[in-house]
Formats: sequence, structure tokens, C-alpha cells
Amino acid sequence: MKLGWKRKKQIMGEDLKEILEKSEDFQAVSYQNKKTKTRFTLFYITSLVDERILHEIALPKLLNGDFKKLGDAKKILPLAEVDISRNKNEIEQKLFNGAVLLTVEGEKGVCCFFSAQKENVRNISLPEIEFSVLGPKETFVESLKQNLNLIRKRIPVKELIVEEIIVGRYSKTRVAILYIEGLTNEENVNTVRQRVEGIEYDEITDSSYVMQLISDNTNSPFPQMLDTERPDRVAAALTEGKVVLLVDGSPHAVIAPTTLVEFFNSYEDYLLDWILASFIRFIRFFAIAFSVLATPAYVAILSYHYQLIPVDLLNTLVASRRMIPFPPVLEAFFLEITIELLREAGARLPTKVGQTIGIVGGIVIGTASVEAGLTSNVLLIIVALSALASFTTPVYRIGNTIRLLRFPFLIFAELWGLLGIVVCLCFVTTHLLRLTSLGRPYLEPIYPPRLHDLKEAFVRPPLSTLRERPQYLRTKKPARFSRKAAKEKKDIDE
Amino acid sequence: MNMQIPENRKISPFFAFILIYANQIGIGILTFQRLISKEAGYDAWISVLMTGVCAHFIVWMIVKMLGTVEGDILSVHEFVFGKWAAKIAGIVFIIYLGLGMITVLRSYIEIVQVWMFPRLQTFWFALVFLFLVLYVVTGGFRVLTGMAFISSVLSVYVFFIFLFALPYANFANLLPILDHSFTDLLKGSRTMAFSFTGFELILFYYPFLKKPEKVQKWAQLAIAVCTVLYLYLTVITFAYFPEAQIQKNIWPSLTIWKIIEMPFLERFEYIGVATWCLVILPNVCIPLWAASRLAKHVFSIRQRTAVPVFALLCLIAVSMISTRKQINFLASITGTMGFYIDFVYLPLIFLATLLAKKVKKSGPSS
Repeated sequence: MKLGWKRKKQIMGEDLKEILEKSEDFQAVSYQNKKTKTRFTLFYITSLVDERILHEIALPKLLNGDFKKLGDAKKILPLAEVDISRNKNEIEQKLFNGAVLLTVEGEKGVCCFFSAQKENVRNISLPEIEFSVLGPKETFVESLKQNLNLIRKRIPVKELIVEEIIVGRYSKTRVAILYIEGLTNEENVNTVRQRVEGIEYDEITDSSYVMQLISDNTNSPFPQMLDTERPDRVAAALTEGKVVLLVDGSPHAVIAPTTLVEFFNSYEDYLLDWILASFIRFIRFFAIAFSVLATPAYVAILSYHYQLIPVDLLNTLVASRRMIPFPPVLEAFFLEITIELLREAGARLPTKVGQTIGIVGGIVIGTASVEAGLTSNVLLIIVALSALASFTTPVYRIGNTIRLLRFPFLIFAELWGLLGIVVCLCFVTTHLLRLTSLGRPYLEPIYPPRLHDLKEAFVRPPLSTLRERPQYLRTKKPARFSRKAAKEKKDIDE
Repeated sequence: MNMQIPENRKISPFFAFILIYANQIGIGILTFQRLISKEAGYDAWISVLMTGVCAHFIVWMIVKMLGTVEGDILSVHEFVFGKWAAKIAGIVFIIYLGLGMITVLRSYIEIVQVWMFPRLQTFWFALVFLFLVLYVVTGGFRVLTGMAFISSVLSVYVFFIFLFALPYANFANLLPILDHSFTDLLKGSRTMAFSFTGFELILFYYPFLKKPEKVQKWAQLAIAVCTVLYLYLTVITFAYFPEAQIQKNIWPSLTIWKIIEMPFLERFEYIGVATWCLVILPNVCIPLWAASRLAKHVFSIRQRTAVPVFALLCLIAVSMISTRKQINFLASITGTMGFYIDFVYLPLIFLATLLAKKVKKSGPSS
């Protein structure tokens, strides 16, 4: 049933109506209540509205209930979100969030809206990026509501605050800022709020956009905020005193502030017993150092400092390199780039094909290039090992950084051997020293040195000794639990 | 002079330790053994101790003096002599710091050229290295301190490497003790003082330290640690080399590294020389920072302008010096200047400060 010009103009204003008319999925339908004979009209966007709620719940009540004026709608509709408004902007916003507008004949410029949003929520799936053998197996999905539900269930206290800011000129993305009041440092919350409010962008597709737009230094390969798909990790971060950002439409939460060492700590470390976890953490740090430095060291030593290698070992190295026509650096670049190609191809292809590519590429290309005399098998071992080592990073983003970091080191190693590696190391260290995350030093607890945080950075001490929250977060409650109470409970025969 | 440093730029007094330590340990530690044994023979370890004790006193004076005027060296001069003298003294210090930077960088490049890459071009390495220095210094004082801290921590292992020389050491070399005259020992400690300069940079960064009352403790500790380190190296070197042989080694520490053997590694000096790049980085960064800060107050220019200008001047100077003789000459000028500033001038100005304080105190009442 089409309406006359005048009716629509009263409710929504000229421009909005004209624009809406152009869309096929905009609907305006008029009805009459059977009891009171009140005439009313519903406006909605069909693609956003759940027809079931509209036709099975709302409409029967409106048609058969005691409905005389607009105010009655609040009483008779059995829906949670029913409101009355005169604000044009609010009306427009609600309409595009899946609300149905309701106007009654005779009441001008006012309308009631009720939410009948159609929610297409993906099922909660297993963690794929941050998989862990132990621990919870749920991950975030694309719906903000669902994600908040996952976090609220883990921290069911009133102190957990969820603030919402809408950003993006066209996407109107809802960004939620989560923190625990009375625990999280307000300065951090304010910084995040200010930066999110300051975002000026047309479309925010994912939390990664927000992350990139509010990072302290955008010209750095190092991620300055941690993103995770695991609600348990987010809950842990919140109780540590960090600020969490959730973005509607993104299955990743962003945690800030953070430090470099946190990127090398897997959440699973906290699920294993502390001795094992510390051992694994140690292996991981070794792996990362190996991954960055092994190939450059090979190039440096074979190009310049072969005297460093004891004679027996040198024999092996020389034997493997005897037939190779290239200098070590070309050889290294060739293999490193091959590995990067494999990795990139594997990441872009569907899982099953990707696996095949990995095997075919890894084995066939590797063996063939050694047999063809293009690369030495020692270097092949080193490159393969360092690629493997770079996969031990528990956070995807930092893994990419490690991948990239190897190349400047290679170039410097070719330039000045070991000296070049040290110079490059100095550049990287300086860069890290200059970085901050929400204004907090990124290299903490190494610099500024904080013994308490250092303890947790490289080993994973027993939970009972982790009494204090990280110092760099400057939380309002530094202690996680009362030592006295813990002691009393542990007494003999208690 | 107004010396208000924003609280978030300040660092904890512990870093007085790191900064002094990082500045004391530098090029000198690779070469000082020969120089001191030239003067005092194998009794020179006593000279090391004597210099160390002297340094303790002087650091005590410096911190006391800075505490009195609550500022840096410029404030001291202004307090004692007035504004113009402070500016002139500032220029002298800028020259001294600049010479120090150039000496350190050029001596290091010389070591690299002798021990690692004979064909390393001074200009290109200096260029890249000074870019690195610029990157550190423009990050501000906190980044600078961080670099000093990390370089100190990462290079500590080198001192344990010297223990590999123990199986070849003959401590009887040191006997008989005290077969040199006291004058020789004094000469030796004067030479030692050349290597021991560097602590005077606290004159410039003192206002950046929080809790000034705790600075004294950390500064003294740094001097103590450095004295012990120098003593340790002296004793090991003297035990390793016969007295006649050490005179033929310009860099005795590097020669010791040569004998180190591990199952996967020989010829440690390559790694050692490369590591020393990390060690001398603060030795160039801190003076550059200090000089640019002085320039800011003396010439009223922005520190951001002064830093690249000084770095450029340093680059030009470093690439112009080419022979061993020139490097030696430069090192001896810098050493002498450092010696007179640290061990002669600073005690005098300390006394002057005390005097000025007394006069100013009694001034209004009389």
C-alpha cells in the first residue's frame, strides 16, 4: 500500500524519504487496529528486519491489542527494545540498525521504533590461528553482541565496563571499549577512547583497521597492539588491567597496551605446569633468535670470517659449497625467497591444496636445487630450520615481522659481515626502544628494566608467585590476590 | 639557568650507574694495558687502583656540586662566574665532547680495519654508524639511556671470555711487587686517567635523574665496578703477556681473544670486535647528546638542529683522519684534555662552587 507524499514528509523529512524511495528493500505498510480502529504505518528495511519477529510477534499485538495512541505500543509489544523518538538522526540510525518504525495517524513528527533485527551469527568455531591443545576452544565471531556475550560470561562482574563508539563515515562500525573499572589505569582508557573517537575514515572493515589507525607508530613493522581470537585470552588481559577493543564485524579483539615479549607468550603457557611452560618459552625465544640470525650469520661467516669456524667443521661447509657458482648471499636470498613464495602460496590456497604445495615445494625444490648445485645443503638445512623456527611465534602478526626482519640482516651481513649484523641489531634495538604502545614503553621489562615483570617475560613462574599485575600497566590494584589469605588456606591440615 | 626537565623525560637514579659504566667502558679498555705498563711496568695495576680512588673522589665532588646548584655544568658556571663565562665554558666543553666522539669512532674504525676488514672505507662505515647515532639521539634521553643499558647488558659476556686466558696465565709475572718508584706509579695513573675519563658526562645529564639524593650511591658504584673491571683486565693481561711482549701489542685485549677455542668457534676476536660496535655506540651517542644540549643553551638553537650538524662535522673529521699517527695524536689530545678537565679543573670548580655558595649565603645577611 503506497502512502501519500504528506504522511512520509511528516515523519522522516524530505531528503531521507527521497533517498529511501530509491531502494527496493525499503517498505512502508499501513494497517488498522481491529479493536480501536487506530490507523498506523510501519516503515522498515526488509533486508535488515527479521520477518518472523515482525509478523508473528509484533503485528498480531498491534492489530488485536488495545492500541490507541503511540505510547500504547510500549505496553503491548512484547519486545525488549521499544522506544519513542522525535530525533531525525536517531530515527535514521535505528532504521539502518534493523529497527521497525511505527507511526500513528494523527500524531505528527513522533514515531515509535522497535528492534526486529535479523541476526546472522556464525556458529562459534574452534580456534584456528591460536590453537591450543589444552584450554577452552571457543573463538570470537563477527557479531559484536555474541562476542560481548562470550566475554561477559567469563567476567560476570559489574565492574566490566563496555563503552561504545561509532566510527566510519559509511560503515558506521560499532567499536566497543572494554575495561574493568577500579583496576585498569584510566589514562590508558582515555588514550584509547580519544584515539578511537579521533578516527576519521570511511569504512572500518575489521579490528585490524582500528588497530592500524590508533597505533602509536604506524611506520613500524612491529605490531603495537595484540589481536586475538580467543575470549579466554581477552578475559585474562582484562583482569590484568588492559584495555580491550571489540569491533562489530570482526572476529578479533584488540588488546592494548602491550609489550614486545608478550607477543612471544602463548596463552597455552599458562595452562601447562610452570616448569614445562618455562622450558617451551625458552625454546621459543631461542627459535626466534635463530630464525632471524641464522642465515645472516651463515652469509657473514662464509663471506668474510671463515677463520671463525674450526677446521673440521669448515671442511664440511666447504665440501657442501664446493660446486656452488654463487656467492653465499645470492644463495641465501634464493632460498629465503623460495621459502617466502611457498609460504605465501600456501596461505592463499585452500587448505588441502596448500598442504600439497608445501610438500611439493619444500621437498622437490629443495632437493632439486641442491642436486643441481645451485645451493648448498647446509644452507638448505639452515633456511628450512629458520623457517620452521619462525612458525613457533604464537601470534601471527609477530611471525610476519620476524619473516621480514631477516632480510635487512642479510643485506647488512653481506655488507660488513658480523659487524654488519651488529649494526643492524643496533638499528632494530633503537627502533624498539623508540616504540611505545599507548605511550607505554614497548621494550619493557627489558628497558626500562622491571625485575618483577622480567620474571614473567622469559620464564613462566608458578601461578602462586604471580601475585602482582604487570607494572607497566600501572593498574589501580597491583595485587592479584592476598598473600595472607593464600597462606592461611595452605596451612597443614587446613 | 632554568633547568626544568619534564617529569616524564626523567629516569630513575639507577641509570646514573648504567650511563657512567657505559661511558667508561669503551675503546680504552682494549688498549690501556700497554700504555700504563710503559710508565709503571707490571706494578701498573697499583696505578689503576690509584686512578680509581681518585675518580671516586672526583665523582663525589661532581655530584655534590651539581646537587648544590640543582642543574648541569652550565648552571655551575653561571652560579660561580656568571652568564658569559658559562657560555665560554660551554664552548670548551662542546669541543671536548666533539673530540671525544671523533676519537672513539675513528679508533674503533681503525680496530675494524686492522682486525677485520683492511679495506673498510672509513667514510661509509662512519656514515652508517652516525645515522644509527642520530636515530638513537633524536629518540631523546630515554632512548639514549635504553641503548646504553642494552649495550652494557649485551656486552657483559665479553669480560667472562677473558677467563679463557687463565690456563695460559702466569701470575708470577706480576712479581716483584713495588719495584717501581712512586713517581712511576703516579705517571702510570695519569696515563690510566686517559682511559678512565667519561664519568664527567654526569655533568650534563644530572638534571634528568630522578631522586638526586640517590645519584651519589649509584655513581660511586659505577666507578667501583669500572675500577674492578679495569683491574681484572690488567691482572689477566699482565699474567698472560711477559712484560717485554706487551709493548709490542697495541691492543692486548684483542690479542688475548685470539687464543680462545670452542668446539664450534675459533678466533673470538671477530665476534669481539663486532660486539665492540655495540659498546662504543653509547660512547658516541652520549657526548653527541650532551654537546647538542650544550649548544642549545649556548647558541640558542634547537637541539634537533644541533644534533645533525654535529654528526655531520664528526663525519667530516673522522673521514679526514687516516694514519695511525694522526689517530694517536688525536687520542693523546683528547686524553690530555679529559685528564685536565676531570682531575684538575673539576676539583677547582668544586671548591669555587663551595666558596660561591658561602658568599651568596652570607651576602644578604651582611
